[in-house]
Amino acid sequence: MSQHEHDESTRPSVSPPRTAPESPPPAGLRRELPAEVPAPAAARQDVPQEPGGPALTGRQRLVKGLWPPRVTRAQLIVALLLFGLGFGLAVQVASTSDTDSALRGARQEDLVRILDELDDRTERLEDEKQGLEQQRDELENSSDQAEEARKQTIEKERQLGVLAGTVAAQGPGITMTIEDTKGTVEANMLLDAVQELRAAGAEAIQVNGVRVVAGTYLTESGNGVGVDGNKITAPYRFKVIGKAQDLEPALNIPGGVVQTLEKEQATVTVERSTKIVVDALRAAKRPDYARSSSQ
Amino acid sequence: MIAVLGLVVGVVAGLLVRPEVPAVVEPYLPIAVVAALDAVFGGLRAMLDGIFDDKVFVVSFLSNVVVAALIVFLGDKLGVGAQLSTGVVVVLGIRIFSNAAAIRRHVFRA
Repeated sequence: MSQHEHDESTRPSVSPPRTAPESPPPAGLRRELPAEVPAPAAARQDVPQEPGGPALTGRQRLVKGLWPPRVTRAQLIVALLLFGLGFGLAVQVASTSDTDSALRGARQEDLVRILDELDDRTERLEDEKQGLEQQRDELENSSDQAEEARKQTIEKERQLGVLAGTVAAQGPGITMTIEDTKGTVEANMLLDAVQELRAAGAEAIQVNGVRVVAGTYLTESGNGVGVDGNKITAPYRFKVIGKAQDLEPALNIPGGVVQTLEKEQATVTVERSTKIVVDALRAAKRPDYARSSSQ
Repeated sequence: MIAVLGLVVGVVAGLLVRPEVPAVVEPYLPIAVVAALDAVFGGLRAMLDGIFDDKVFVVSFLSNVVVAALIVFLGDKLGVGAQLSTGVVVVLGIRIFSNAAAIRRHVFRA
């Protein structure tokens, strides 16, 4: 718009004299303008192309501004400012496109929101972690308990095995040997001996390689004695685990086992020992009729 | 020509140096850049109109930057920083477009 008006207004005036009157006022405002633009030359170039007149068009001014380069104060100041602009632009673009500092450009509200979300997430993960840790502890406890129960079961099995005769046993105790040269010893005498030993706290007994357990029975068997159907003959050798200080007196009490046997012409020797090995075993037998009534 | 060289050198320097933007000027830099762009387009249009004046350009450039930063600062203090920034960018954008239209008429005569 302004360009056209300008062209219209300058059309009547002739170009060579025009610059002379106009140059003084711009000299105050724009000092370099007269030096930059040699009006006559420009006007002469323009005349054939532009019927509009000698005045420079915007495009020509742009070309003239760009080339040839002139080092003037205005150019330097503008260059400085544009340098600042380009620098700021590049820095801003770089910092915005930098993925690491995506939060850099974020506004305060966004940052607060992001922080809240992170807090929530942290809380959720913390809860989850606690739950998992609890679960882990429970599992560890239960596996510990299972292990403990298993150990106790094994221990109990051993203890019961000693009583049931399914495992070998060793410990302090006594050895009682009954020499029966006359063949006068009967099953009931041996049974008395076993009963006496049991009463004195014997924990494991074997006689001539046969384990004496809860269900043991003694029978007369020719010139020997049957123990649970196994025939044994004199000398009868009892291996007894228990407290020797209790077992020996129990056998030797007046009118007790030893005296009764000696009355029958048998020879009884009782020896204490710190290590008796009862290694006769009995197969574990599942009861056919009796069932545990507990539980 | 020197001015264009200055712009190019500035961009290259900014890309090469990659300085950490200080936290203080961080919110104002984008707005300041947009304001400076507005001043540059205004200056380009003035040059094409033949009324370019370096003093006017310097003053408008600096005042644009300062005022834009000030508005953002004030907006942040008032709690409407985002909205005010948007407003500033819209106004400057409109100005840039109108200046660009004038430049286009000069250069392409259309």
